[in-house]
Amino acid sequence: MIELKNITKKYEINKNNTITALKNINIKIGEGELVIIKGSSGSGKSTLLSLIAALSKPTSGEVIVDSKRISKLPDNFASDFRQNNIGFIFQKYNLINSLSVRDNIILPLIPMNLNIDVLNTKLQNVIKMFHIEHKENVLVKNLSGGEQQRVAIARANINSPKIILADEPTANLDEKLSLAFIEILKELKFQGKTIIIATHDPLFFNFNIVDKEIKIYQGSIS
Amino acid sequence: MSSKINIYLVEYAINSLLRQKHKTFFITIILTILIFLLSSVFLITNSIKHELNATLKSLPEIIVQKSKAGRHYDIDIDMADNLLNITGVKSAIPRVWGYYYFYNSKTNFSIVGIDEYEEQYKDTLEKIATTLDFSKDSMLIGKGVNRIMSKNYYKEYFNFIKPDGSIKKMEISGVFSADTELESNDMIVMSINNAREIFDMPSAHATDIVVKIPNVDEIATIAQKIKQQYPDTKVITKDDLKISYQNIFNYKSGLFLALFIISLFTFFIIIYDKLSGLSSEEKREVGVLKAIGWRVEDVLKAKFYEGFIVSFFAYLLGLLLSFAFVYIFQAPLLKNIFIGYSELKPSFELPFVFDIQTLALIFFLSVPIYIAATIIPSWRSATLEADEVIR
Amino acid sequence: MLLTPEVLTLSILNVLFVIFATIAFVLSVKIYLNWDMNSTNQKQYQLEKYSFLNAIVIKYIFFIKIPLFLFFIFTLDKISNILTGAMCSAGVIDATEYGTYLIVLKILNLYLFAYWLKLHQQDKKDEKQLYTKLKFGIYIALYLFFMVEIALEGIMFYSIDINKLVSCCSSIYSSSSTSAISTIFSLNTKILLSIFYGNFFLIIIFYFFKNRYLFALSNIIFIVTALITLIAFFGTYIYELPSHHCPLCFLKSEYNYIGYLIYLLLFIGTFYGLSVALLKKSRKNYKISLIFNSLYVILLSLIIIVYYIKNGVLL
Repeated sequence: MIELKNITKKYEINKNNTITALKNINIKIGEGELVIIKGSSGSGKSTLLSLIAALSKPTSGEVIVDSKRISKLPDNFASDFRQNNIGFIFQKYNLINSLSVRDNIILPLIPMNLNIDVLNTKLQNVIKMFHIEHKENVLVKNLSGGEQQRVAIARANINSPKIILADEPTANLDEKLSLAFIEILKELKFQGKTIIIATHDPLFFNFNIVDKEIKIYQGSIS
Repeated sequence: MSSKINIYLVEYAINSLLRQKHKTFFITIILTILIFLLSSVFLITNSIKHELNATLKSLPEIIVQKSKAGRHYDIDIDMADNLLNITGVKSAIPRVWGYYYFYNSKTNFSIVGIDEYEEQYKDTLEKIATTLDFSKDSMLIGKGVNRIMSKNYYKEYFNFIKPDGSIKKMEISGVFSADTELESNDMIVMSINNAREIFDMPSAHATDIVVKIPNVDEIATIAQKIKQQYPDTKVITKDDLKISYQNIFNYKSGLFLALFIISLFTFFIIIYDKLSGLSSEEKREVGVLKAIGWRVEDVLKAKFYEGFIVSFFAYLLGLLLSFAFVYIFQAPLLKNIFIGYSELKPSFELPFVFDIQTLALIFFLSVPIYIAATIIPSWRSATLEADEVIR
Repeated sequence: MLLTPEVLTLSILNVLFVIFATIAFVLSVKIYLNWDMNSTNQKQYQLEKYSFLNAIVIKYIFFIKIPLFLFFIFTLDKISNILTGAMCSAGVIDATEYGTYLIVLKILNLYLFAYWLKLHQQDKKDEKQLYTKLKFGIYIALYLFFMVEIALEGIMFYSIDINKLVSCCSSIYSSSSTSAISTIFSLNTKILLSIFYGNFFLIIIFYFFKNRYLFALSNIIFIVTALITLIAFFGTYIYELPSHHCPLCFLKSEYNYIGYLIYLLLFIGTFYGLSVALLKKSRKNYKISLIFNSLYVILLSLIIIVYYIKNGVLL
């Protein structure tokens, strides 16, 4: 379970100028829920995601995941938390184009220095799950958009995280790919993962998968 | 830098280097050139030192020269017999030697006179003495001398011009090679009387006297005794020679090192500059890595691997190139700077000397310095606000 | 003044160390004064970033310092060829009044740096980062030690006079010399050896009792007794000469560099012994300390035994 208590996040631009990105946010997200965070760009939804992922720390308030206070973790513990619990899907996939599919997918595992057999098992699991096993050694830049999307999702899932965070995942996709993405989301939800998506794409509401909808306007829940 | 090397991380670092081909290539090339220059200088000086030490080993323990008004002067050969009376002295042999300036090629030859019946002061000369024909006006010449003489069409004989202007014709009876090329290259060996004639030296005189002492511990005491008995002499021990030679060469390579430092610091700044200017592409990549669970330390480690791979590769490549340059191609251009102490520019071969300490020295001057230059830029990129990538 | 390429190299790296250590020093002071784990302002986040830079700088210095220390000894050895009278690095160390302090300080700093890294490791293991303030406080002190070391090194190389006759190691470490070291030789060898082996026996006993302070204390004393017996007794067997007591000559290739092994064993053994008291005690540290100390004792005892077997007598 994810809980945000009285979260405020301010950014210091310079000594006299601060921007309040989030103000007094309180959110509870249950296990296995699929939550949509809506809001125009600059409303603070990305900041919210980065707080849940412990990528940044709140100015005040607490983020609690599975009764663990992650908002106060030192960097290396925050990283370990991300590594083991969070799968990230970015707006533009954020893959490394000159690396192969395999090398992109195993990126999250590199710091763990796993045994090669364990690593390969994990790799085979996700590339089968997302149907890219035939492209394992192809360079990412030679893939189609749909394939790249599946590589990005496979990378997010390689360490079997409990929570999937997605930031505007369909912003750059045509309708066909967006629909394919939603199919994958269904599958992930079925597996019991908690999914949080920051988006303003109305497509998500055409399918009956959204459990909760949070609207953010100028840093507050509206 | 933890105990276990993460091979995936190394692989990632290599890929990341290959991704930035131009930058990597540029840095590697410059670093390799710097290391190549530095190690060439050290390899050459090491070889010359090695030659010199071998030469020094064959030198007598003490050389006694007569000194008048601060200048070197011919010495009475009678003194040799007196020196023999000092306990601990095994032998005292007068030598006749000197430089002959050959105007045509503007070089100096060193002429060494040897006595047929006397014990030679050097093993090399002992060998030569058996081949020299003392009954004729003949001489044996070193390789370098031979080259110069034949260039000037002196193939069978050579005409020395004596101080009074008359000519002394000497037959070339052969070319010799000695243990070390440095000593033999510019040397001419002839009978002691011929040498005296060319130098116009009276027969009871010699250039200096060499004293042999079997017990190394006694050299200092005996040198002191000679100095006391003959205040007008200059007494040079083997150690004096050795130290002054070593100082000359340390000084020369020190100078080079000073130049090297300047170029190294320039390089340091270039690297710093290159690495600090993070492209948006790199920023994004670090952000993604952190978002998917990399620690700051993992990013730093990857950057460290990158730096180490580049600098160590350049180190090995630079070394390899300079080994080839010095020992296979005999260091064209650079060598001349270091052997300027001999008037005759000899083309002697640099002997192969392998010295771990020099390798360590070059290592310390390259790899740690390069890595130091990468520390702050790496830290900057590793601690970038990762949430920027998802904004 | 002495300006060989080796000395220049050491100086260049020292300049680099000064620059980086000073950056880390300034940041350490900032962290020490302002560190607050509970704060959520930008300043604290910046300090956290600085702590990474500090850690990497200190790690860098330590990991270069170890091989550089060997290179330093190598360099002294090489200088001894130029200095009249010196046979090995001991003569060079003795050539100026700073040499001995420099060596002691260098070794001390290696222990301190290694201790700092251990503390850092410990700090990283805990979510609350309890030692952060402490470790950077310690670094502030360490920085001062380190700067004194670098200054001394500079002064030493600057004041070595090539033309001055220096003592050879066999005269520095001989019973007839008047130095403090020579008092060692007035002590009875049998008593010294009993203290040495007794000391080692104590380490074993405290190992089984797992008393961290007594264990560390016996390790500190062990550094002293080990060095004294090495000079007074064990060294002579390495040289196979009853009168040669130099603790540095056996670093040379003539003795197969055995000195490096000897000092390495002693350093690791006693360092882990000390860290038991200064850091959280762990079974692993106890064990590593005991293993390396034992290897040290076994190695030196073996040298004596081998000599006895080969020659049938003791020196």
